Amino acid sequence: MTVSLLDVATYLPGEPIDADYYARFADSDDLRDNLMFRAPRHRHHVAPDETAVDMIERAAAGLVERHGQDTIAGADVLITHTQLPDMPFHGGGGATAHRLGMKPSWVIDLHNGGCAAFVFGMQLARQLLSSGAGRTALIAVAQNAAGQIFDQPTVRCKAQAAVPGDGAAVGLVAVSDRSPILDVQTRTYGEYAGDMTIAVDPPRKWWQPGTGEGCIGFTESKITEVLARGNRQVPEVSYAVCDRIGIRPADLDLFVSNQPNRVFLRNWREALELPPERHVDTFDECGNLFAAGIPVNLDRAISDGRLGDGDVVLMAAFAHAGDFAGAAAVRWGGR
Amino acid sequence: MTLPRLDGLIRIETTPREKATPVIMEMMRSVYPHDEVFGEFCTVNSHIDCPPGDLFDYLADTRCLEEWTYSLRGFTPTEEPGLWLAYDRLGSETKIFTRTVADRDAMTVDYHCAWDQGAHLWMIYLMRVVDAQLVFDRPGSVVLWTNCHHPFYDHNPYPETAPPQRPVWVGDFWDMFGAGHLLELRNLKAIAEYRHHNGLPITPDWMRSNR
Repeated sequence: MTVSLLDVATYLPGEPIDADYYARFADSDDLRDNLMFRAPRHRHHVAPDETAVDMIERAAAGLVERHGQDTIAGADVLITHTQLPDMPFHGGGGATAHRLGMKPSWVIDLHNGGCAAFVFGMQLARQLLSSGAGRTALIAVAQNAAGQIFDQPTVRCKAQAAVPGDGAAVGLVAVSDRSPILDVQTRTYGEYAGDMTIAVDPPRKWWQPGTGEGCIGFTESKITEVLARGNRQVPEVSYAVCDRIGIRPADLDLFVSNQPNRVFLRNWREALELPPERHVDTFDECGNLFAAGIPVNLDRAISDGRLGDGDVVLMAAFAHAGDFAGAAAVRWGGR
Repeated sequence: MTLPRLDGLIRIETTPREKATPVIMEMMRSVYPHDEVFGEFCTVNSHIDCPPGDLFDYLADTRCLEEWTYSLRGFTPTEEPGLWLAYDRLGSETKIFTRTVADRDAMTVDYHCAWDQGAHLWMIYLMRVVDAQLVFDRPGSVVLWTNCHHPFYDHNPYPETAPPQRPVWVGDFWDMFGAGHLLELRNLKAIAEYRHHNGLPITPDWMRSNR
């Protein structure tokens, strides 16, 4: 049974916020000149009263327009991922299903997929649909940390705060021969799971009351470790998928990755021996979109005509401090 | 101590960590072009489970090359003390001359070699044996092996010494030296570990009895 990624629709909240926004707040931060944290020109921020479910609903509008409300509402599987859940205790899967008017048999809320969540969602959807769980699945991802955790007064002055951007995307997967998911590979590197932390000063658990504002904690030594992991993991999973589908990485028609920073974009492109025109990114407009990076970039490539019928696109990403990575290949059959 | 301000000098006094780290990160890649890794210097390394002193003694005897190299065969002494003649089967009828310079204190073994003639030994294989206990906290030896891309690899300076109509020159193989030397290092590892694990002398009797 063949499962296809039929379409993807995306949403970027609000007007672009330019780099000057951060220059106003910037303090002398040791990491500012660091390539990993060199700011993009623009990014979008989730509005103060906008929830992750709101973002996903707005992203899904494109799918509703192209495929009809019934297709979306009637999907059998809903896979969701939110970077900063509206409600951490139970996540956003149920609320998302309700908002999209769905009564799916399967609702799965992923939190370990990180920046590779869309790839992970494709793997899950393909597995479920090919084993008879239904005919249609939605993969909904929302990155909403930029305008929230990274925009707190004592966090937005740090160099790292200018890199993330918010955005959401919904992918439509179905039992179909149109745009087959050729293969997916995900890997968990649990030994690195503890290396990304929400650092608070003075220290407390994230749910405890206190004065310090939480931010994603990186030390300089951890940055180089994470860089080395990402340098290794994304090419590894990419090559694994390419080997199995019998396509040399250099022969891929399009490569879509997550976009944590410019260094990774360059290094992965080099590792796959691809020219820049076959590696799509929106870093300078959107910043680090975390899990939304892959579907936003894919949507951009389709809309711009950079992905033609019959082209093979490889999507690959790694998550957090390197505890998860995934790659998926699709032979695109048109929107 | 004071140093003049030199271009490219990166020391913590003038380049603090927040300036140096981006320089480091710019240099860290997913992949490195072959020529960058093996173009000017060709380095291969290996751990070998065999006592470093025994391995050094074996490597210090030029005739060991008869065993672990891919293509050097038929070592015989020349009239010049310490200079050996052998044949490199990579090139048909190709003579290779070797003089081994070993230093037991430094545990270095340098093979000074040349194809065709023994007067100018410009192909120099620099090897060093390190006690693995010191560097890996495990028994055995670490072998470091570096070769430098001497300009003579690109142009044979002594064409008159080559056999007539020989179609190849040693430098034609430079681009495969990384892989080729690793293959030979694996030979060395296989031989030395076999002997060590079976209680045999690392330096075989035929080399001991015939110095």
